[in-house]
Amino acid sequence: MLILMKKLTLAAICAIAMLPVFPSWAQQATEVQVSYSNGQFQPSELRAPADKPITFRVKNLDAKAMEFESKSLRVEKVVAAKSEGVINVRALKPGRYEFYDDFNEKARGALVVQ
Amino acid sequence: MRLAIQSGWCHSIALCTAASFFWCSGAARAEDASSWKDIETKYIFGFTTGSGIGLEGEKEFTVDSVGRLGKRDGHYAATETKYEFEFTPTQFIQIEFGALGSTHHIGGVSDLDDRSQFALSGAFAEFRYLAIERTSSNPLAVTLAVEPTVRRIDETSGERVRNFEFETTINADLELMRNRLFAGFNLLYEPEVTRTAMGDTLREAKFGGSAALSLRIASNIVVGGEVWYLRHYDSIGLSAFTGDAVMLGPTLYIAFTPKMFMTAAWNTQVGGREIGNPVSLNLAEFQRNRARLKFAVEF
Repeated sequence: MLILMKKLTLAAICAIAMLPVFPSWAQQATEVQVSYSNGQFQPSELRAPADKPITFRVKNLDAKAMEFESKSLRVEKVVAAKSEGVINVRALKPGRYEFYDDFNEKARGALVVQ
Repeated sequence: MRLAIQSGWCHSIALCTAASFFWCSGAARAEDASSWKDIETKYIFGFTTGSGIGLEGEKEFTVDSVGRLGKRDGHYAATETKYEFEFTPTQFIQIEFGALGSTHHIGGVSDLDDRSQFALSGAFAEFRYLAIERTSSNPLAVTLAVEPTVRRIDETSGERVRNFEFETTINADLELMRNRLFAGFNLLYEPEVTRTAMGDTLREAKFGGSAALSLRIASNIVVGGEVWYLRHYDSIGLSAFTGDAVMLGPTLYIAFTPKMFMTAAWNTQVGGREIGNPVSLNLAEFQRNRARLKFAVEF
């Protein structure tokens, strides 16, 4: 029985490994660009088409690091001062996805997927 | 007398929870939730686990203690603590693993040997897959999770054993009010096999579910309550039913900083039965009370 349980664990791990983690990666990603300066995202609202993967290019123009983060997009990335960060996001369903700088409560933005 | 004290104590907890919930509802209405960041729902429901799987690239270290207190007679206090590392390699999967530590303080409990011990008791891993994701137009999120665990110390008795458990859960939650009110639901199937020191092999399983309601009263504080219904079987195939229990209690989540939080929960058994025993509550397979305290740091 112990052996059976161990096999069950292995089977579950294999099954999870085969789940469609990024089913849409084969598609061409839509690129969206956002700048970060003076503690604000510019523009603060971005648009992207539904059901296509998205690549964020975040240009941090400030003299200190920022952390691009979004619970609904399920991504986070620290972008060093005066540099650019690239964040890949899965294909999204239509909706509004908020993002923010985790180091600065006031810096907010949103991606509207249609 | 002891029963009366226990009963009064349970009612006090229930009243305090209800009062806190309604007081908090009023306080929460006074704040504007639209300015709050989205919240990770995994830990806001107490023993009930939310659907959250973290952010891609996120890592977390967690100390998660569960205490089980009270049997039919004598003195019973046991804890199991997970020292856990978790990470989210993709936007759909979360992986956790770690070591288990346990304590047992048992005296005068029927069918259990007296003991007072601390031990490194085992190891576990958990794999979580986000099957349905929440969007601004879909309030429901569902995660499937499996958690294989090996133990060298029996969870209940503290005896040396060889135990293998395979917990399978469905974790679902609903955002009932944007950024404010959440309902959580779990479905649990937990088969296990134990080889005792005497060489006997025991097979058992737990099956059950929970419902929880959590209200965000401030951007970093969530309070709520949950109820669990659990059934115990002396077989893996759910054919030899031995008893059930209903656990009820309050939950609390506090984020100290954006990267550090704690969650706490207390469940009291309010109903249950043991097959072949007319006395109320099931204190053979379950405990009178259980408590959870978890601290986590993300990095």
